[in-house]
Amino acid sequence: MKVRLKLFATYRRYLPPDSSGNALDLTVPPGARVGDLLAQVGVPERESLVILVNGRDAGPERVLQEGDAVAVFPALAGG
Amino acid sequence: MFGWHGKILRVDLTNERVSVETIDPQTAKDFIGGRGWAIKYLYDEVDPTVEPLAAENKLIFGTGPLTGTPVPTGNRFMVTTKAPLTGAISCSNSGGTFPTEMKRTGFDLFIFEGRAERPVYLWVNDGQAEIRPAGHLWGQNVPQTEDALLEETDPQARVACIGPAGEQLVRIAAIMNDKHRAAARSGVGAVMGSKNLKAVVVRGAQEVPLAEPEALRELCRTVRSEVAADVKKGSSLREYGTAYVPIVTNEIGILPTRNFQSGVFEEVEGITGRVLTEKYLIRPKPCYGCPIACGRHTRVEQPPYEGEGEGPEYETIASLGSACGIGDMAAVTKANYLCNELGLDTISTGVTIACAMELYEKGILPREDVGMELRFGDAGAVIDLIQKTAYRRGFGELIAEGSYRLAEKYGHPEFSITAKKQEFPGYDPRGSKGMGLLYATSNVGASHMAGDLAYMEVFGVPKKLDPLTIERKPEYIKHFEDLFTIIDAAGLCVFLSIRYLCDPTYEVMPTRMTEVLNLATGADYTVESLLQAGDRVYTLERMFLVKAGFTRADDTLPRRMLEEPMPAGPAQGHVVELDVMLPQFYRLRGWDENGVPTAAKLEELGLRREK
Repeated sequence: MKVRLKLFATYRRYLPPDSSGNALDLTVPPGARVGDLLAQVGVPERESLVILVNGRDAGPERVLQEGDAVAVFPALAGG
Repeated sequence: MFGWHGKILRVDLTNERVSVETIDPQTAKDFIGGRGWAIKYLYDEVDPTVEPLAAENKLIFGTGPLTGTPVPTGNRFMVTTKAPLTGAISCSNSGGTFPTEMKRTGFDLFIFEGRAERPVYLWVNDGQAEIRPAGHLWGQNVPQTEDALLEETDPQARVACIGPAGEQLVRIAAIMNDKHRAAARSGVGAVMGSKNLKAVVVRGAQEVPLAEPEALRELCRTVRSEVAADVKKGSSLREYGTAYVPIVTNEIGILPTRNFQSGVFEEVEGITGRVLTEKYLIRPKPCYGCPIACGRHTRVEQPPYEGEGEGPEYETIASLGSACGIGDMAAVTKANYLCNELGLDTISTGVTIACAMELYEKGILPREDVGMELRFGDAGAVIDLIQKTAYRRGFGELIAEGSYRLAEKYGHPEFSITAKKQEFPGYDPRGSKGMGLLYATSNVGASHMAGDLAYMEVFGVPKKLDPLTIERKPEYIKHFEDLFTIIDAAGLCVFLSIRYLCDPTYEVMPTRMTEVLNLATGADYTVESLLQAGDRVYTLERMFLVKAGFTRADDTLPRRMLEEPMPAGPAQGHVVELDVMLPQFYRLRGWDENGVPTAAKLEELGLRREK
């Protein structure tokens, strides 16, 4: 099952070194959760982590669906 | 007194006289400082129905008790006046190095009144103040003005000034300090221009007396080490400035796009922090003593956008970029440089041009009136209009009035994305409901800085709230308005204050902020009495609006936000349910169903209806 992971702000550092954008297309087994996806790329699960699935608030326990876009970034001071 | 000098410099421009006054300790504490003291003076001394550009209006520069202290980011000043864009009060705030230097002159507040017969500037040097002629500076842009003033006063002095936009009484003119910093909103630059006051130059060596200096320094060391630890882990603000934000707001579907017709911008990749950092950043530029350093010293070499300066930050990218349909960071950066040089508010300039673009594309605004094509995405048109706006030339004459007056002139005020005639900042409230309530009810018109709940709805600081629900949002907005009032009045920057000086819980109580204020001032605030002081200041500002003629009908949003569902993205189908939130909010504030503070509320806060 294919999903897209977007890493924003300083979390870009979890992208492979040659990445030009901020997104990774990844394959996960059916039933995988957001937490599994993050573990796959080495993003630590912190309390201050903001997780969005398809732009809406979500947590690490959220079960992924085919085609989901997961975006993560560290809790940030505002703009 | 500690923290405060307790001294106010009154500058009578009509008679070219300066005088010094003191403030009593109880009033100092009750109104905290800066923004709080300023509304106290404005309310007591200025008729709220005054025409904002009349000599009878007053213009107040205010520092807070933490400005110029060792408290990190204790380096802000506030500009308070009756604003020409909104007819409400202004609350324009800025950092840089000017605020600390202003505090070191030995005065907390400068009150400007009357109108000089000819252009002048104020030179305050270590307790001594002098009004000097500025005819030779009139017409000069911001960097030219600052360079000339440093030469004729002291190279170590700091300058706040207006550019051509303020001189031309442009309703979206800023007051600029340290060349690139702006107390931008509500047209405060036009008030300065109306008084023939070109600049304020400060130099001083008067340290701020502290109640418990050792304990305060110790606490500041702790705060600095917490910031340093975060920076070491990776600070988005340090690495990208606030330019990291467009990609985030676009993801949740609230990035202002083509005059807020959408919250999703297909060209967002061109205006991200990564582009700014990789292509144009020279170095992060901190305000005085700031451990965060979100400012950007940048250079663009790519024609036709060559230039060097500071910025852009998020609000500028959202307004001069995506709101105008522009996805080119070089173009946005150039537009930012021009606004800074000419002394314009980037938010209102961008969102007013965006409004003109929508009117043009809908066939409401004819080509002959603009003198050129004016379509979304045309960066050349934006740059051209910025210059025309600052000098009120051609179609710039209408942009100079802000989007509400522009859209109203063409019979379609509904396309002006404003609240109380002030242009929205960079969060479409259909996907950030708390921000919708804030924009609608804020005493200064649409402003994120009046109580930026995007911290929680968007960025997860200190905790994440669902941006699409209205549940508990009236409580949060009331609390955030009081908190931001305290932060402004204290002379702090919000970037540090919410994260490091408030409890990291859903309650966001200003526990450490109270401690810091007490160590600086010895004022013995409790968390409750400090929040009440924030409420007192906010409510007095509201009383000024009530007396100026504002009613519940003004606590509203453009039709697009209330009736046109967001067309795309995660917030698709949403509008702002203002009619549900507003009555709850009024009750929580102790205001009646018309948004007027009740007699009981005024009594509780120790305020009087009459002066």
